[in-house]
Amino acid sequence: TVFVVWLVNTRGRQRAPSDSDLELSTVRHQPEGLDQLQAQTKFTRKELQSLYRGFKNECPSGLVDEETFKSIYSQFFPQGDASTYAHFLFNAFDIDRNGSIRFEDFVIGLSVLLRGSVTEKLNWAFNLYDINKDGYITKEEMLAIMKSIYDMMGRYTYPCVRDDAPSEHVDKFFQKMDKNRDGVVTIEEFIETCQKDENIMNSMQLFENVI
Amino acid sequence: MAAGVAAWLPFARAAAIGWMPVASTPMPIPPQDKRKAQDGLIILNVSGTKFQTWRTTLERYPDTLLGSTERDFFFHEETSEYFFDRDPDIFRHILNFYRTGKLHYPRQECISAYDEELAFFGIIPEIIGDCCYEEYKDRRRENAERLQDDEEMDMNNDVTPVNLTFREYLWRAFENPHTSTLALVFYYVTGFFIAISVMANVVETVPCGTLPNRSKEMSCGDRYALAFFCLDTACVMIFTVEYLLRLIAAPSRCKFMKSVMSVIDVVAIMPYYIGLVMTDNDQVSGAFVTLRVFRVFRIFKFSRHSAGLRILGYTLKSCASELGFLLFSLTMAIIIFATVMFYAEKGSTATKFTSIPAAFWYTIVTMTTLGYGDMVPKTIVGKVFGSICSLSGVLVIALPVPVIVSNFSRIYHQSQRAEKRRAQRKTRLARIRAAKIRGTNAYMRYKQNGLLIDALEEVAGQALVGKAASPPFESQHHHLLHCLEKTTNHEFVDEQTFQANCMEISVVNKSGSRTSSLSSSPHGLSSCCSRRHRKKSSFSLPSTNNQELSTIQIRERPVSNSRSSLNAKLDKTMPLKCDEAYISPSMVRLSAPVATSSDDTSTATTTYSQSNIVRVSAL
Repeated sequence: TVFVVWLVNTRGRQRAPSDSDLELSTVRHQPEGLDQLQAQTKFTRKELQSLYRGFKNECPSGLVDEETFKSIYSQFFPQGDASTYAHFLFNAFDIDRNGSIRFEDFVIGLSVLLRGSVTEKLNWAFNLYDINKDGYITKEEMLAIMKSIYDMMGRYTYPCVRDDAPSEHVDKFFQKMDKNRDGVVTIEEFIETCQKDENIMNSMQLFENVI
Repeated sequence: MAAGVAAWLPFARAAAIGWMPVASTPMPIPPQDKRKAQDGLIILNVSGTKFQTWRTTLERYPDTLLGSTERDFFFHEETSEYFFDRDPDIFRHILNFYRTGKLHYPRQECISAYDEELAFFGIIPEIIGDCCYEEYKDRRRENAERLQDDEEMDMNNDVTPVNLTFREYLWRAFENPHTSTLALVFYYVTGFFIAISVMANVVETVPCGTLPNRSKEMSCGDRYALAFFCLDTACVMIFTVEYLLRLIAAPSRCKFMKSVMSVIDVVAIMPYYIGLVMTDNDQVSGAFVTLRVFRVFRIFKFSRHSAGLRILGYTLKSCASELGFLLFSLTMAIIIFATVMFYAEKGSTATKFTSIPAAFWYTIVTMTTLGYGDMVPKTIVGKVFGSICSLSGVLVIALPVPVIVSNFSRIYHQSQRAEKRRAQRKTRLARIRAAKIRGTNAYMRYKQNGLLIDALEEVAGQALVGKAASPPFESQHHHLLHCLEKTTNHEFVDEQTFQANCMEISVVNKSGSRTSSLSSSPHGLSSCCSRRHRKKSSFSLPSTNNQELSTIQIRERPVSNSRSSLNAKLDKTMPLKCDEAYISPSMVRLSAPVATSSDDTSTATTTYSQSNIVRVSAL
């Protein structure tokens, strides 16, 4: 079994990066074995099975590229334009930055979001906001994220989304988070502030039983 | 929304954690999965053929027979399977629809049998995938014609936007004569005058018999000069008016003036005006006569009236490379053979091949197999090369012509298909738009129901019996959208409400009401709305919309068992805020979620939210 697992692993690892210049439809990826994923994530066997079935249904090749990801995510927000936010999300899930999300990335990300500790979830959120992954959230990064969130609302909102609404929101965020007023938010400031905020702590538990 | 991506909803909800740290307001409570859907296998027995699928697969489309509780009517206890007395071959496609989200139409099935099955299982045929949709629609139309039914083809006519400017209206009338009767009349009148003008040009030159005091025969043009002149004037006036109207109506005048049709129009009417200008001047009468030749270009104006002519012109343009090749190879061959013939015939006496250019005429006539016979070779060598010339002529000309012909045929059929697809595209867009609106309305209803139900739950202390249970997927999706609203502190509204709100906000601004910094830029608000708000909808009563919304909240608040005095305080402050109506619409909105969330969270949360409100109003 170890041999088989090793074979599957090497096959999976070989295919994805080398076929980057081919069309994604000719690339296939088989995920690691069920036992391994069970060890790496906090999901039960049944949950992993149901997750994979849904994943494979939408992406028969086993890999999600950014365009497919954007189109899937946009279907949940038909009134606005979810593509920018989907791009940021994609980068947050695509840990090894190879342009496609494998099932392992997908399930590991979900495990953090749904079964992880609050600190892990906050870490994930920080990673999402930190676009260039340098450990600091600058105002520009936050503004880009905020604009993409507001883009998802679309045109028909009440009240009308003003042009400066995102930047106002960013200012409020920085007022709250940036303790030493150095213009950037570090991971420590972020986690500390969030842990003190009841609302945020409560909302982190919101999606516990989504699966 | 395609429920085919229902499998990804848990992912989208999990990813919503990314909004939590930046959310302006607390999140709504997630819906409880009252029905713990076991993911088991279901056996569907269709006339003996057993199909099996997961329960959740079927429940992706809860408004169909298989996805709802309607299937319980077909449950067979003895064998504990669902039995359907229907056609198993067609059922295969229906089941595939649940699996893949795409409905396909099998070409070998009868269209009415297929329609019946779809109707039985509650699936609307409009969701047939693009690959099979055209075929399905074609078959359906054929069937209807065969049965001589008056099937209601709800291909909507051109949606006439009411508020086109006169200029746009004029342009549309010119480009598309079928939009109004006036345009159609104009179209036929111009066509008629083009024909008249061309005929007049032709008849002008026919000899009409002699006048008694003249010796030579006169052409009709000279005999009835005045009549022809009047006819010509009338035609040119019509053409001039048409050209000027098109010029005025054109959205981009420079582009219009550079277009081919416009050039043809100008060339058609110019000779007349130039002729008017330089009459009675013998020196330029020669040039004047030449100019009259250009009048024949009027016949090209017919290309506006005939699609086939346009396609021919387009084909020639697109086959430019083939035509160029034809021309080039012909020129090469002509030069070669003319040279050869000239030197071959040089020796013979009284030969017509006086020079190489003179031999060109022979070569062309021979290569195109015309063979006039005015120039023939006399020497043996000349005759040999002459025969080689005619044989090669056939080859050189016959090769590119089929390419041009096939190009024409392809383009012609393409244009026919494009017309059909364009007509279907409008229906598609209308469908997509309707689906979006339906989604928004469903979400609005969810929100109103949700607020009411949560408040009532608190009072009853237990789940209400008999409330409309929305399917779990829908309610989870709506909860997700609700979270987004809370994050950005804005709400989704549908198109009509949005435009109504914009109108009332601009009304408020005109009345110069007091501003607070939260809706800090009412100018911003109105500018954003007016910039995006291109359609001028009618004025709706501004007060009713907002008041109704706020009164709904007020009515719900007293129902909820206020556990903390904070709630009571809210009740008292609510009416105050409502009186200040439009100034702080966002403040009114803020108070609503506080009440719902305070029902289940500790008072600490409410103090935070309360302080949230306080902070906001202090801004």
